[in-house]
Amino acid sequence: MVCNEIQQNIEAYLDGELTLSDRRDFEEHLGNCNNCQLRLEAVRKLNTSIKKIGYSSRPSGLKRNIRAGLLDLSGEDSPGFNWSQLLGFSGASALFAGVGVWLVMGVMINSPLQLAHTDELISAHVRSLMVDHMTDIASSDRHTVKPWFNGKLDFSPNVVDFKDHGYPLVGGRLDYLKGRPTAALIYKRRAHVINLFVRKADTPAQITTMQLIQHQGYQLLNWQERGLTYTLVSDLNSKELQAFANKLQP
Amino acid sequence: MANRKERQRFERLMMGHLDGAYNLALWLVREPAEAEDIVQTAYMRAFEHFHTFTGGNAAGWIMTIVRNTAYNWLNKQKRNSNLISFDEVLHSHEPDNRKQLTPEEAVSINARSSQLMEQMERLPVEFREALFLREIEGYSYKEIAEITQVPKGTVMSRLSRGRGQLQNLLLEQQKRRQQNGM
Ligand SMILES: [Zn+2]
Repeated sequence: MVCNEIQQNIEAYLDGELTLSDRRDFEEHLGNCNNCQLRLEAVRKLNTSIKKIGYSSRPSGLKRNIRAGLLDLSGEDSPGFNWSQLLGFSGASALFAGVGVWLVMGVMINSPLQLAHTDELISAHVRSLMVDHMTDIASSDRHTVKPWFNGKLDFSPNVVDFKDHGYPLVGGRLDYLKGRPTAALIYKRRAHVINLFVRKADTPAQITTMQLIQHQGYQLLNWQERGLTYTLVSDLNSKELQAFANKLQP
Repeated sequence: MANRKERQRFERLMMGHLDGAYNLALWLVREPAEAEDIVQTAYMRAFEHFHTFTGGNAAGWIMTIVRNTAYNWLNKQKRNSNLISFDEVLHSHEPDNRKQLTPEEAVSINARSSQLMEQMERLPVEFREALFLREIEGYSYKEIAEITQVPKGTVMSRLSRGRGQLQNLLLEQQKRRQQNGM
């Protein structure tokens, strides 16, 4: 065997991927060839130093967050959670058939259910991410945030901190959406900002199912309850946003 | 309750691979906060599709989902920034435009982990991925081919070109250090 062939096999040899007979030929040549030995040594040295990099330690909360997410998904700690209510219509059957929520989203996007003012909500969310635009009242204390809205709105939004569930309250803000005063409650999930917009419903008596809309890389969850319309907007993945929506519903 | 049993089975099979999953994501996207997010998303996705796991290699199964999630994120970034990335298909028949080191040069390379990681980040993500799965996780070519969904020959070429480029980059780095008297 010539050096060229041998050198093409150096990595496969070190990676333990040569057949027994190729291995034998390889080693036989190596015993008589300094040049090939040196090349082998160089690759071995590189491999060893790559192995030495090893693992970086993972973030301390990762396992806990995944556990919490799994519990949410399996529905064990959330008896009030109802997939068919969340997804509505044919979406529910798609989910139960195991197709997965991302397909359901595709259905929603093209359906007439799409929120008329999706863009306006996303813009409001994006605006809030700008420096100093996130909150008018920055506080994780619901007893500070809730009264701040007094006199600014013609309803009183419910304000709850979900810090223990990994969705801490950051503060509140007054927005105008569709020309109507809107309460924006700001939560965080890790580094993700979540805006919860609460406003008077257009048609208070109407009962709507929860809608999930994906647009421009943002997830929107929209539902109506007791005459108020709630919309969550975030770039957080839809699973965790749904888990959060579930907590927000009494 | 069935849900609970499924969740427990999922945790038993998949939670042990969390370190590998996180580090794979970290090697691919290089941002700890994003890697954390990707692993979280991937595990949620994996649980939803757990019924498609029919036994066998649990680590390989979860790693595939993690890397796919990471690539989704990378593609999104690329679209957002209009970056032109390395095109493997386009370049696969060209020799790497780097010279082959002499054996003496190659064997003279000494790199600390931090220096190595610095150069590793300059490799195409597919090369980094193959090197991680081979050297850190110890997967065979066949297993890497399954996880990354490419033929075995592609795995071999990625590993080989990755190692070759690393040697070049490390040697350049080493020469710069020596010039600076460090
Ligand atoms: Zn030789």
